[in-house]
Amino acid sequence: MKSLAGAAGLGLAALLFLCGAAVAHRAEHRPAAVRPVMDYVPPPAGSYALQVIDRAPDGEVIGADGRRRRLAHYTSGRITLLSLIYTYCVEPTGCALAYETGVEIRERILADRSLHGRAQFVSLSFDPLNDTHESMQAYGGRHASAAGPLPWHFLTTRSMRQLKPILEGFGQEIEVERDARGRPTRTISHMLKLYLIDRERRVREIYSTAFLHPEAMLNDIRSLVMEEDARR
Amino acid sequence: MNTMHFRRSLVAGAVALAFAVPSMADETCNSPYTTRLIKGQEDFVHVWTLGAEGVGDGADKLVTVDANPKSKSYGKVVHTLAVGGRGEAHHMGFTDDRKHLWAGGLDSSKIHVFDVGSDPSKPKLVKTIDDLVKKTGFVGPHTFYALPGRMMIQALSNSKDHGGVTGIAIYNNKGEFVSKHDMPMGELGGVKGDGYGYDLAINPQKNALLTSSFTGWNNYMMDMGKLVKDGEAMKRFGGTMAAWDLKAMKPKQIMSVPGSPLEIRWSLNPKDNWAVTATALTSKIWLVKPDGKGGWAAKDVATIGDPAKIPLPVDISISADGKGLWVNTFMDGLTRYFDLSNPEAPKETYSKKTGRQVNMISQSWDGKRVYITSSLLANWDKKGDDNEQFLALFHWDGKELKEQWRIDFTKEKLGRAHHMKFSAKGG
Repeated sequence: MKSLAGAAGLGLAALLFLCGAAVAHRAEHRPAAVRPVMDYVPPPAGSYALQVIDRAPDGEVIGADGRRRRLAHYTSGRITLLSLIYTYCVEPTGCALAYETGVEIRERILADRSLHGRAQFVSLSFDPLNDTHESMQAYGGRHASAAGPLPWHFLTTRSMRQLKPILEGFGQEIEVERDARGRPTRTISHMLKLYLIDRERRVREIYSTAFLHPEAMLNDIRSLVMEEDARR
Repeated sequence: MNTMHFRRSLVAGAVALAFAVPSMADETCNSPYTTRLIKGQEDFVHVWTLGAEGVGDGADKLVTVDANPKSKSYGKVVHTLAVGGRGEAHHMGFTDDRKHLWAGGLDSSKIHVFDVGSDPSKPKLVKTIDDLVKKTGFVGPHTFYALPGRMMIQALSNSKDHGGVTGIAIYNNKGEFVSKHDMPMGELGGVKGDGYGYDLAINPQKNALLTSSFTGWNNYMMDMGKLVKDGEAMKRFGGTMAAWDLKAMKPKQIMSVPGSPLEIRWSLNPKDNWAVTATALTSKIWLVKPDGKGGWAAKDVATIGDPAKIPLPVDISISADGKGLWVNTFMDGLTRYFDLSNPEAPKETYSKKTGRQVNMISQSWDGKRVYITSSLLANWDKKGDDNEQFLALFHWDGKELKEQWRIDFTKEKLGRAHHMKFSAKGG
């Protein structure tokens, strides 16, 4: 199938254009999230199988300490919940929702010692030019942690060149919208998706806005833990 | 506004729009989980067209029509893309990012993947998935329904006996097989499943997947005149709907809905949790809603025309507010509007003969434009002069359908016009 290079290329150009004006928000400026309705009791953990949807991509990223590492360093060995965000995103059903959903699931995992050491979260920036590793740590605030029972890594990349293959691998489109005359505008569109990745770096679930139900997502994590335990 | 403030505002606005992901629906009949909903004017209508012997190159093709009234080529065919051969082209569906259109062949069981995101005026064939039968044993990929990062495909038949027992296949957006799920055949909730499939549609806030049931390859590839005279064959139509646990992909309940329930449309109003379907053979509208006990209930709520005359309801299209439903009846060529304000008692308030045979119907988000095509199945379409093949646009002012233009697909040497999807420049 055709690669996403064209769209990502457009996104690169737009991000280059936008970077000078972008303003990194501190954690306290993060807008309140608008949550999707959940009107069901999710199936119990372990009562269903999560499909192997795809391989998680790899690529070079920058960690909290400013050092370059492979994304695989942060997405293997534990169950990973990965989101792609901007620090200056103001959309209540976008990054803010991804972040708040992560916080809620994190609290539940921390309250259950049987899940300690089994999972990790990754928030990777869409905008390597504005989102430095320092601003990503500021965005993560008190939840940013490289160790402990549930690490939460806030990562960025050195440039769009490094980010592009990661976006393509996740099937994450970014695109510059055009005006009525076909000229590129300063609007970048993409679809919010979070990825649940098993310890073997296989994508086992993908959540868009309508599916960000923390209770069901926690059960998915528990299901993968049970799957791992059953194999031991 | 100073320059810096202005630039900051622009960026904030840009990013806000960047994450403005629709949580509701596409142009009222797609999977709700596709991005970039077209709420304004569509630029193009893509028509998945069956090749017809002696008509042009005779091959199945994706026909792209200019739908923007400001364009010089408004109402004209601007692009055709033949896929080679005739495989019973039928339905299509966008991937979640709306970049690719997956189009199935009910006979070939091939799935053609078109790139419509790069340049919607010139779709490109980028992949043909031909392992559905090998991976699943299913035949006849019908409905293509986007989930995040993947596509659910409802099949109609199977390779073992070409009957109606079938299932659901899931592929990732790269076109790689992920999983298969058989339609239920056992008893669930006091009703026995028939294993048949037709359409599927999901409601994430209820973790619900609804499926309907049609018939197998043996029947949908048979000449309709012969089929209706074959009593045994006529028994082999589905008469059930199933409610599934979407997360677990497990059927939880089977509902008796006699007469082959076809298209399923959830109300697009976020406060609603009901869906409707129309039955082809019994000419009824059925409502599926929560039963108050944690399950679902299916209820016959309206009659479409005179069932004794078998008007054959085919495609339906629900309005964005969930208050109205278009129903096409193939045999009499009528396009009917039902007031759905009370989904427990839909009422037909308008009808117009829009063709000698009509099947698919698609409306714009605002409901002002209604597109209609003609072909049902190659062997079920009418014969002779009644075999009109067209795409027509009507304007709807709430009182009357007014035809704007009509493209004769036979005269244009295109074939049999079937499923439609909209696209817009720049997404």
